[in-house]
Amino acid sequence: MTADRPTGSPPSPPDFVLQAPSGAYLSLNPATKLLVAAVEVEAAFLVGTWTGPVLVLLLVLASAAIAGVLPRLAVIVAVTVPIVASIMLINGFLYPGAVDVIVRIGPLAPSVSGFQFGLQITLRLLAASLALAVAYLATRTDDLLSDLERRGFGRRATYVIGSAIETVPRTVDRAAEIVDAQRSRGLDTEGRWWRRARGIVPLAAPVVFGALTEVEERTMALEARAFSTPGPRTVLRVLPDSTPQRLGRYVLLLALVAMIVGRITGPLAVLP
Amino acid sequence: MDWLSRQFSTRVIVLMPIAIAINIVLGATVQQALKLPIYLDSIGTILVGVVAGPFAGLLTGVLSNLIWGYLLPAPIGSTTIGPFAIVAGVIGLLAGVWGRLGLFRSRRGESSSIPGAVVAVILVGALAVYTYARAYASPTDFQNNTGFDPATIDQSRIFFLLILVVFVALIAVALFLRRDVGAVYAIGAGLVTGIVAAIVSAPIAAVVFGGVTGSGTDLLVAAFRAGGDSLVSATLKQGLLSDPMDKMITSFVVFFIIGNLSQRFIARFPNGERLVSTSSM
Repeated sequence: MTADRPTGSPPSPPDFVLQAPSGAYLSLNPATKLLVAAVEVEAAFLVGTWTGPVLVLLLVLASAAIAGVLPRLAVIVAVTVPIVASIMLINGFLYPGAVDVIVRIGPLAPSVSGFQFGLQITLRLLAASLALAVAYLATRTDDLLSDLERRGFGRRATYVIGSAIETVPRTVDRAAEIVDAQRSRGLDTEGRWWRRARGIVPLAAPVVFGALTEVEERTMALEARAFSTPGPRTVLRVLPDSTPQRLGRYVLLLALVAMIVGRITGPLAVLP
Repeated sequence: MDWLSRQFSTRVIVLMPIAIAINIVLGATVQQALKLPIYLDSIGTILVGVVAGPFAGLLTGVLSNLIWGYLLPAPIGSTTIGPFAIVAGVIGLLAGVWGRLGLFRSRRGESSSIPGAVVAVILVGALAVYTYARAYASPTDFQNNTGFDPATIDQSRIFFLLILVVFVALIAVALFLRRDVGAVYAIGAGLVTGIVAAIVSAPIAAVVFGGVTGSGTDLLVAAFRAGGDSLVSATLKQGLLSDPMDKMITSFVVFFIIGNLSQRFIARFPNGERLVSTSSM
């Protein structure tokens, strides 16, 4: 096993380490994707009333197509259907102070300005949430976290976010195990709802207390692995980055500030 | 900076993701499966705030909502949660302040529990009656105020009553069996937190969603608006229906959790010395 290990200049990572992604959007550094998403979200809310949301939506759809995540994006759009319908109906039919009411039916007064307002809020919401969704779909969570850690974002912060994301499904699984365990002791989980309701405490308490007792063990496990030791770490898998991207990120940071200034001083507020 | 880094010991760093998971899993169950007019999605946030400090609580709240809203896939994840991250942060921050003031400390046998019990009964009773009357008066009110299917009103009503029964039973255990007046302080802290949360969340609901969150309480907001209220005051009225009751229950549950974990475990957290009962030794 040890005899044929390659010698000389930097060994390539072993096979079980994932290779860096390729493709125009996918291969962008996670930090770049995150900043692009932040600029898009800000633009959706600050640039004009229609210009920003529409431009951002086009941009987001284009980058989703390039990254090949359009089908998965469609699922996210489907999830927003109830809220979009709700926004359109409530604003469309109950817009206060509307002068251009189309027809009056009892308390309902559908108005043109109401529907316009609803559409505008919808576009904003879609643009902002899809911008984040594309960045998320096109980036592996570990990649983003290890890249942020490399930039000095802090081991603690990256641990909290990474661990929380993986703890949620684990907690759901654990809750299912506890349901099975309690059922084997005779807890009724399939009868009428009022019988099931009696099971809330015997189900919720073990989930919460079980999770909390894990804290002690995990703390020791992390400390045994030098979690709070100061100083830099070496990384197994270096993510691609380039000078144009580095410059681009400074431009994006400037844009974040410029948009706030532009909105307050006026030029962005007067756009349609 | 020392006071800040002390809030984020390794132990707290390990607790935070677990607290976030508790928030999300319990919140999703209560709101999506049990269809209650309360949220129960800040037990973890308040727990971290109380045992670790205001900034750890703030961060837990903000991260819970951001992860819930943007990082988790659809069955659990929900796009309407994200913008309320600021509210969750304020809840955690306040919990940290209450923790620092020692409001969540067990006060076993410190003084007579009778005045405390009276205060607790009046407080809980008034708010429970208010929430119950507003949310469950009739199937139409149930639909208007919570947005759930009127057919599920009986089920929701029983779950709500059950939660109340458990809540009152736990208060009774705390006050009469353990003679622990600390519970009253925790419930009071929850009431203040709930009112602040309602005030902070109203403008967010109004600005980001035009008062509409797509689930639950939209029709109530619409009803208030049709009655001539401004957008912000309509959403505020909706918040004041759910938040105070919710945060009182949550704060008490956290108080109860802290009281039931071993004192050795609690004392190791940054705020531990203010949470462990001094007189029970």
